[in-house]
Amino acid sequence: MEFGPIWRAALRNKTGIVLIVLQVAFTMALVINAIAIAEERARLMARPSGVDEANIFHLNSSGFAADFDAKLTIEEDLRQIRGMPGVQAAVQINSIPLGGSGWGMGLKTTPGPEIEGVPTTVYFVDEQGVDALGVELITGEDFAASDISWRMPATSEWSNKTILSKDLAAALFPNDPTYGVGKIVYIADTQPMTVVGVVDELQGPWSGWDNVEHTMLVPEHLWNKSTAYLIRAEPGARDALMPRIETLLADREQGRIVRDMRTMEETRKNSYELNQALINILGTTIAILVAITTLGVAGLTSFNVTRRTKQIGTRRALGATRTDILRYFLAENLLFTVIGVTLGAVLAIGINILLVEAFSVPRFSWYLLPATMLALIVVSQLAVLFPARRAAAVPPAVATRTV
Amino acid sequence: MLTMTNVSKTYRTDTVQTQALREFSLHIHEGDFVAVTGPSGSGKTTFLNITGLLETFDSGKYDLDGRDVANLSDHELSRLRNEKIGFIFQNFNLIPDLNVFDNIDVPLRYRGFTAAERKQRIDEALKRVGLSGRAKHLPSQLSGGQQQRVGIARALAGSPRFLLADEPTGNLDSQMAQGVMELLEEINAAGTTIIMVTHDPDLAKRAKREVHVRDGLIQGTDGN
Amino acid sequence: MLRLFEYNLKLAVKNIRRNPILSALMVAAIGIGIGASMSMVTVNYRFSLNPIPQKSDVLHYIRLDNWSADFPFNEGRNPPNQMTYLDATALLRAKHAYRQVAMSRSTLAVEPEGRDERPFFVDVRATTADFFAMFDVPFRYGTGWGADADDAAEQVAVLNTTTTERLFGDDNPVGRTVRLSGQDYRIVGVIEDWEPMPKFYDSSNGPTNSGEDIFIPWSLVVAKELPRAGNTNCWKPLEGSGLQAFLNSECIWIQFWAELRNSAEREEYVNFLNAYVTEQKALGRFPRPLDNRATPVMEYLREQGAVPDEARVLLGLSLLFLVVCLLNTIGLLLAKFLGKATEIGIRRALGASRRVLFQQYLVEAGIIGFTGGILGLGFTWLGLEGIEMQFADEEASRILVMDWNMALLAVALAIIASLVTAIYPTWRACSVQPAAYLSSN
Repeated sequence: MEFGPIWRAALRNKTGIVLIVLQVAFTMALVINAIAIAEERARLMARPSGVDEANIFHLNSSGFAADFDAKLTIEEDLRQIRGMPGVQAAVQINSIPLGGSGWGMGLKTTPGPEIEGVPTTVYFVDEQGVDALGVELITGEDFAASDISWRMPATSEWSNKTILSKDLAAALFPNDPTYGVGKIVYIADTQPMTVVGVVDELQGPWSGWDNVEHTMLVPEHLWNKSTAYLIRAEPGARDALMPRIETLLADREQGRIVRDMRTMEETRKNSYELNQALINILGTTIAILVAITTLGVAGLTSFNVTRRTKQIGTRRALGATRTDILRYFLAENLLFTVIGVTLGAVLAIGINILLVEAFSVPRFSWYLLPATMLALIVVSQLAVLFPARRAAAVPPAVATRTV
Repeated sequence: MLTMTNVSKTYRTDTVQTQALREFSLHIHEGDFVAVTGPSGSGKTTFLNITGLLETFDSGKYDLDGRDVANLSDHELSRLRNEKIGFIFQNFNLIPDLNVFDNIDVPLRYRGFTAAERKQRIDEALKRVGLSGRAKHLPSQLSGGQQQRVGIARALAGSPRFLLADEPTGNLDSQMAQGVMELLEEINAAGTTIIMVTHDPDLAKRAKREVHVRDGLIQGTDGN
Repeated sequence: MLRLFEYNLKLAVKNIRRNPILSALMVAAIGIGIGASMSMVTVNYRFSLNPIPQKSDVLHYIRLDNWSADFPFNEGRNPPNQMTYLDATALLRAKHAYRQVAMSRSTLAVEPEGRDERPFFVDVRATTADFFAMFDVPFRYGTGWGADADDAAEQVAVLNTTTTERLFGDDNPVGRTVRLSGQDYRIVGVIEDWEPMPKFYDSSNGPTNSGEDIFIPWSLVVAKELPRAGNTNCWKPLEGSGLQAFLNSECIWIQFWAELRNSAEREEYVNFLNAYVTEQKALGRFPRPLDNRATPVMEYLREQGAVPDEARVLLGLSLLFLVVCLLNTIGLLLAKFLGKATEIGIRRALGASRRVLFQQYLVEAGIIGFTGGILGLGFTWLGLEGIEMQFADEEASRILVMDWNMALLAVALAIIASLVTAIYPTWRACSVQPAAYLSSN
């Protein structure tokens, strides 16, 4: 290939080359970092919540009337919901996985305020909690109906039993193959709870929290006027069940408002809305950017073909075949693109270091570098194909034209 | 070495039809130096393009170095141009961004010579045209006469069967033109066949033979 | 001169139309580049707006470090972001600042008078009397309540316009009552639309949160045991159970603001806070070293990271994007103009001065840059719409607004971008020597 003369000729028009090399380089740097950010967000979004998302929905019941009896309403609500056909399990719960609000606590294996607790989210549930969430109990046992007590507002007392998520158990009892089942953990500095069971995976309410995998179940009903119900429908029954349960609750008791009924799928979507938006924005940006750059490269080549018509004719007269001409423009493009993506790789790493330091953007995976370089080279070569074919079509007789 | 028999070429646009060459016949032998003359519009340029395999013709027979070129593909024509013909252009047609060495290198690369062979041939060609030591110069740093010498060196470097010169001195002042003509004569004396298209009768007289074209027909040939 | 300009304009338009696709690409590249960067600039600008420019220097967020000796709040970077009930009431009582408010959020059910209308929930801000004067809240009808209403935990309320219109239509409701979660409140005022952007006075909610629907005296939170919304953080278990135990705890859930009119007042107030905390230390509270702060609005917003990381990263990327787009157009224009070397040579030889040629090509490049810039305004709008579409919540639309400042900035950016893209290629094209391109190609 004639890279030597191409390179020497290119040096005669340095600005043109610098412009295209920089454009490719910046494109490369941008694309890699955008992919890195999008990839990280996609990874977060791919984490399972652990619950049976397809069949769960939830709603809020908020009593406001002066004579509203929270305990009576909750008991009757649950009895009626559980009695409805299509309901697999239902539970009163203080917050919804990925729902955005919840109750954080610290758990310790040694009591005392000077010990640092392991952060976790608390879900208050009853004996149907594990079933309603659709989480899998991997060891120990579920709560029994007799374990459930009523929690008064602003109480500081805690139940003496708990079920932990696997990740929380592993953080509290590292290297314990039984995940600490049967052992004691301390809540509120000093109050002991026995770990009766461990569930496989159960995320907390905040998808952006580092400790989102740390959750604990506590066998208590909440004596609150405002409460949430989480309902797991039998497969396929969810959509029909939702309006029926909403009507049932609203009609049954006038002193409350039933609101915020959502499927678990919607709740998940809301929770990751910003991540999804970021992925979409970055994806659109990458697509437009690559389109502009490749069209730009094609346009540049096109102008060059026009400018060099005479030269191309001369080359043809001197014996260049059409393929030679095509290859010439591809080689020229290859040379600049390779320089561009190489510089781009350096830039990409530089920008990534800045992003890693300033914002907790992840370092990009090494394979992105060769993959993006290759992709940009291929796209750029394809873009040049069109004007290069125009160049190859220049007739050799152009060489003898005087003007 | 080169024989045209009854070659005809007609250009057609939507409205006009021009017969550029009619039943054109010509034989050129090894070592010849032929000047093809004629006023503008006579069919000179068409002759040049067809002889140089830059254009195809409609009918007749063109035999180049024992090969019938009538039905060759674009690819084969390119190969033939590259191997058999050395072009010398009125405007020199040097590539402005390439230095002298790289300009002469252009046809040699298409030929597929090795780097060493290319270098040897370029050095030799430059020596023949008296420009050794100018290899790194850009065309814009040379005078018109020197540029045309580079053009001649480029034509010679591939050891073609003949040189095809199109008004080789048309863009030169008389002194430079004189130098270029002397160089061509020298090259011909050393055995290379030359076909030169020109409108200049004085120049034509310096060739061994003159072929006069008018309205696409040969009007007469003179041995000088 | 004008005729020459007209001639140049004609030539430019003709040249642009000769390569319609590539001209469109150049225009689109500038437009998209400006659109992408301006939408992100707008988002960042909206997040970093001064929500209350006339008073941002005198309003101070008050924080006391009441946190645990062993495990500092926010790893010790700054003191707890809210206040305990004990401290908020003590600071209120002291009235040491020119004005001060303690406040928290609640959610209550409004029961409309008509039987057929269903009750609905409203966002409630429980706050103290100074709130309206301190934050320059504009009133449509009536006024706020007085300090005596705070002291007596009077059931009075100030409504926003949305709630007023929903309940009373266009009538002035001052003097009438609104029923909130089973209690009657006398309406004393209705505020105009007031939605500071970002919502600075309660950082426990998002900066794009809309304002509250109803304002009531903060003392009612305790007197009527209203439900609390917003964040509550505790580092220490309650001593005992029930509301009183909670009020006496080290749990933080209250925002406290003070109006301090100059640096002397500010310094004085911090001294007062330190004295108060030192006094409390004697009672066994405040185990940490003194870190009590009175932080002005903008400083507080910056510290809290008013602009989300995502917006800042996207801003950086979008500016790079603009650079790519400009490089793209400069490269194309340069290639196009250099391809005209012969034409330029001929024009120069025919007597066009370098200045005239410069003008001719600058006009051509300028038209491309300017059209791109105008298109950029459109793309900015499109970009903001596109981002808004990503969010189901209407709150996002409060960030994605282009105001006059941003429109002017976009125009300025468009002009700069068109100059940047136009000048270099034009200059290069006009550096052609007249003779160089006449003899040969």
